[in-house]
Amino acid sequence: MGNAKIWNYTLKRMTIFLTVALFFFLALVPNLCRSADISFSSKTYLLYNKKGVPGSPTKTFAPLYEYFSADARQLGGSSFSFHFYGWGRTDLQDQTGDGKTTGELGNAYLQYLHPKGNGEMRLGRFFLSEGAAMEIVDGIYLKGRTAMGLGASIFGGAPAEDSITATKTGDSIYGGRLFYAKPGLTEFGLSYLQEKGAFQGKDRTEVGGDLWLRPAKFMELIGRATYNEATQAMASQRYLLRLTPVKVVDLSMGYEAYSYKDLFQTALNSAFQFPSLDEKDKVQTAFAIMEWEFMKSVFLVLGAKNIKHDAVAIGNANRGELGLKFTYNNLRDAAGVSTAFVSADRNENAYQEFRGYATYSPAQWRFALDALTQQYQQSINAVSQSYQIVGSLGYKLSEAMQLSGDLRYTKSPRYDEDYAGFIRISLLFGTATGGKK
Amino acid sequence: MMRRVRQDIIRVVIIIALFVGCSSLSQSPSVPPKHPEELAGRTQVDCLECHSDLSTGALKPYDSFRHSTAFVRYHGLYSRQGQNLCQTCHGASFCQGCHARREELTPSMRQGDRPDLTLPHRGDYIVLHQLDGRMDPGSCFRCHGNKNAAQCRVCHR
Repeated sequence: MGNAKIWNYTLKRMTIFLTVALFFFLALVPNLCRSADISFSSKTYLLYNKKGVPGSPTKTFAPLYEYFSADARQLGGSSFSFHFYGWGRTDLQDQTGDGKTTGELGNAYLQYLHPKGNGEMRLGRFFLSEGAAMEIVDGIYLKGRTAMGLGASIFGGAPAEDSITATKTGDSIYGGRLFYAKPGLTEFGLSYLQEKGAFQGKDRTEVGGDLWLRPAKFMELIGRATYNEATQAMASQRYLLRLTPVKVVDLSMGYEAYSYKDLFQTALNSAFQFPSLDEKDKVQTAFAIMEWEFMKSVFLVLGAKNIKHDAVAIGNANRGELGLKFTYNNLRDAAGVSTAFVSADRNENAYQEFRGYATYSPAQWRFALDALTQQYQQSINAVSQSYQIVGSLGYKLSEAMQLSGDLRYTKSPRYDEDYAGFIRISLLFGTATGGKK
Repeated sequence: MMRRVRQDIIRVVIIIALFVGCSSLSQSPSVPPKHPEELAGRTQVDCLECHSDLSTGALKPYDSFRHSTAFVRYHGLYSRQGQNLCQTCHGASFCQGCHARREELTPSMRQGDRPDLTLPHRGDYIVLHQLDGRMDPGSCFRCHGNKNAAQCRVCHR
């Protein structure tokens, strides 16, 4: 274990070192950047609010956040690119979190995209969603597909994760996925993931299966299942049947099941462990959702969900929802109303929700208003309703720079009244056009 | 013993598959690293306005990626089969707007000027998560299973 910790620490240090070295290498070698497509985004946020806790003096919070991302594609005219994303916070008034300053390196990796067969390589820190894995990894990822449709991906490195339990991060993580894809008809895969660590006394070992099948033009069947080898049981399953009989209707129906003991064995957040949860419980969920554009740019959303627990103590619940959305101003603006009703075996789990919002963007200006209320069937802290209203005003100073501010009012079981101000400055820069959403 | 043999077999299969894959990569064109047209400035983009065929990246019809309410809610089912098509329009860091290792500002707060977006945790969700979390903790687990937020530690120590 001692060696594993040292190895893990060394790997993390090396990743940071390599990332910084790579960044300077790319910046200092002009040939690489000469024909690169470079873009960056800086988003600065300042939150300001005062909070009073009974028996304590009122505190004033003013955290200043900077979110920065940069992408340099086609380095030296090649298929290599470099991506960076991270954020930092400093408190201008009272301390908001673990320290007066904090931050996170989200990703920093070199990527190679082969022009054929979707061949791909990533090296550094990256977010990975592939088969059984949805991780942030310090390591390497490779993927490719053959002409026959068979493909494979592998990854390995150190997990970049954060724990609030006594369990520290895993020592190493690796895995892969074998898949077959027939364009337009199907893709299915078998994946494997292993993370060394102390997940309730065991390593994390998962085998995943995934399926996408389109037997008819209007029908898709999608599914994913994960088997937990550490507990020797199926951890979770989720299946979705999506129907689009006509262009204006999207109807989806699904089923999901998971077992607490087998799914949450890998949790590093104590909220998912005993005694917060009954480890013997299992959940089955059936759901359906329909979106119907019944008039040009007017959408109706209908949804239903049934949640069934094995444990009698929690009880079951049903959720129904109804929403209406309207887009206008050449798709730049939208307005909508929605409601949701949750009925449950136990009153403490039942509530109703109502929401309305609208945006308006004349010329360089942007106005937005969002109002939400929730009514709890059983009062929480002797309060049965919560409200939140957010008003936003923005102005586009130039193509690259936008300034906006929100005023947020909240009344809830936590707050008698809470006012918060939020200012954001957004700066976008790019040497070429393209997707920037 | 059996477990170790099984793991070794899986490793060998992966190595063989990688070797075969590298030597016979499909000659069909890959998805471009970036969408060639400007997409910013709209609440929602409809791929079908221009594309009626299959995506070379995901090998699925563009119709599959219409960002309906169902697609947005269950996008993870698609992304687990590949992220390259998503990154073409959304950029490399888009996923981590929500799926971050540590996060202090909720997505709905950072984008308070975009109420039209389907973003989690609107309102005072610290209160409501007690209800939703009791009934369907699996929906929380996907994002919060390995997070270390100061707000979580107030109650979940």
